Amino acid sequence: MASVSLKNVYKRYEGGVVAVSDFNIDIEDKEFIILVGPSGCGKSTTLRMIAGLEEITEGEIYIGEKLVNDVQPKDRDIAMVFQNYALYPHMTVFDNMAFGLKLRKVPKDEIKRRVTEAAKILEIEHLLDRKPKALSGGQRQRVALGRAIVRDPKVFLMDEPLSNLDAKLRVQMRVEITKLHQRLQTTIIYVTHDQTEAMTMGTRIVVMKDGFIQQIDNPTNLYLHPQNTFVAGFIGMPPMNFINALLTVKGDDVSISFNDINIALPKKYSTPEVKAYDGKEVIVGIRPEALTDDVRFVENHPQTQLPASVDVVEMLGAETYLYVTVAGVTSMIARVEPTVSNSKVGDIAKLAVDGNRVHLFDKETELVILS
Amino acid sequence: MKSSRARSIAANSAIYVILSVMGILWLIPIAWLVLISFRAEPGAWTPYILPQSYTLDNYTRLFTDTQLFNYPRWFMNTLIVAIFTCLISTVMVLMTSYTLSRLRFKSRKGLLNLGLILGMFPGFMSMIAIYYILKAMGLSQSLLALIMVYSGASGLGYFIAKGFFDTIPKALDEAAIVDGANQNTIFWQIILPLSKPIVIYTVLTSFMAPWVDFIFVSVIMKDNYNNYTIALGLYQMLTRENIYRYFTQFCAGAVLIAIPITILFVIMQKYYVSGVTGGAVKG
Repeated sequence: MASVSLKNVYKRYEGGVVAVSDFNIDIEDKEFIILVGPSGCGKSTTLRMIAGLEEITEGEIYIGEKLVNDVQPKDRDIAMVFQNYALYPHMTVFDNMAFGLKLRKVPKDEIKRRVTEAAKILEIEHLLDRKPKALSGGQRQRVALGRAIVRDPKVFLMDEPLSNLDAKLRVQMRVEITKLHQRLQTTIIYVTHDQTEAMTMGTRIVVMKDGFIQQIDNPTNLYLHPQNTFVAGFIGMPPMNFINALLTVKGDDVSISFNDINIALPKKYSTPEVKAYDGKEVIVGIRPEALTDDVRFVENHPQTQLPASVDVVEMLGAETYLYVTVAGVTSMIARVEPTVSNSKVGDIAKLAVDGNRVHLFDKETELVILS
Repeated sequence: MKSSRARSIAANSAIYVILSVMGILWLIPIAWLVLISFRAEPGAWTPYILPQSYTLDNYTRLFTDTQLFNYPRWFMNTLIVAIFTCLISTVMVLMTSYTLSRLRFKSRKGLLNLGLILGMFPGFMSMIAIYYILKAMGLSQSLLALIMVYSGASGLGYFIAKGFFDTIPKALDEAAIVDGANQNTIFWQIILPLSKPIVIYTVLTSFMAPWVDFIFVSVIMKDNYNNYTIALGLYQMLTRENIYRYFTQFCAGAVLIAIPITILFVIMQKYYVSGVTGGAVKG
């Protein structure tokens, strides 16, 4: 078990492509850190640099107290789980799990003990004599996890380990990996592009874009207080609605207006930072669940009402998504309660915004003003 | 519906007829060779196709009448050269292919292209140069020289094996690296066991080369009859003064050298076919 630190880490490829820029993070012992971002954001490259599979161009990486910049992967005391499992096809499950231990000249009895123990944890004891091709996707992923567990490494690195599984299995394995983390009490660095995985598994999440860290925070803060429009739009499904609006301050009253619609914001927005934007355009972020067509709420909040035509209604069972056009031009998505919602396609629905959950961003820098 | 079925039957029949004719055409020379090897009448040309009488003498004489043509010795020479060439070439081809497929170094691309260009020149272009080099090293007319010549440039035949290695996911190497393996372990314990078809293919092609080469062995061995290989030795039976007496013996000798190669092929045929396609299609 160990902490991991990355200090001013850069990765530049020949030809000038910069994959990772000025990456700084202190990962504490036993943390479950998630690196998340769209394709090409540098998350896998960062993980591979920690593993030692990719050289770093600049900066320092520490595992525990040890600077590992020039340390071979095998001497970093890490284990890695790959997206495509990377099981050795010609070896049995037992041999796959034992391979790393054999190379480290661990005594045979000890290898057997460790492999059996890991197999028991992952419930794959009955598969030890099989070859990988005789296993299902989920079983293969368990073996890949088992191969990492038996090594008892300081740090687990996981590179999109669930993305090759079908949706149902993914949910199941997600829970299992979380349980495994609680049981093993070890540091895990986990790369994914799936924000659900990120939100449900991580103790802290690193959101990345174009090689830069956008925000490092716990899942709740990341959702409730995104630092910029990218994080706000990336985390959350369906994504946050963004509107360009004019901010007006009258005394202590702050309001935003767009397309002849005026929304008065509650008192909490009456701060010096917000007031500084008086008369300027800002980006307003509204999460789909902050929009509702619940009649009682709408009637009680006349100051935040939005008239909207309903384009599409998606009933998902537990919730309904309304795809609406506000004031004839702005498309938005609302997540509403199926039991209360009466909206139908073609309706002009009365929606209201929960004023306390509005996010304001600077239009130029796209950084948060208040959320 | 009916007409399309009739058409497919007609097409299939045509294909089978063509294939059967081609099969027969390929088999005729082999059948003829085997028949002649058992013919009792001497001479290269007879006005009839099927022999009038049969004998095993042609085969026994190959091993008993060794004064002029030392067939057993030549057979052993070829076998020795083939075995060593096969071992050295296989290791060299596979290691070169692995290096070019897996490792990244500065001159990699240049070497790949150089290999490709050099491969376009026929090997015997270097014959005279090789002869003088071997002579300067005091190695001419020896079996060692033959082994060196046959296996020396084998690394250049890396294309098919490299293509095969390229299809093995890189993540396996990386998993092994994290597990603690070095390049040596990865090559022997991970990549090679997964490359059986291409290993077999490489073994077969490098084993066959010495049995069929005529040019190099004739330049290198000159008049050292004792170190002749089968191809050069058997050819001596076809000279104007020997052909009448030894033609049937020549045929028997040709049948016999097909035996080790055929056995190897039959055993490894399954892998050989998948080896070629596995390496070529995805490479």
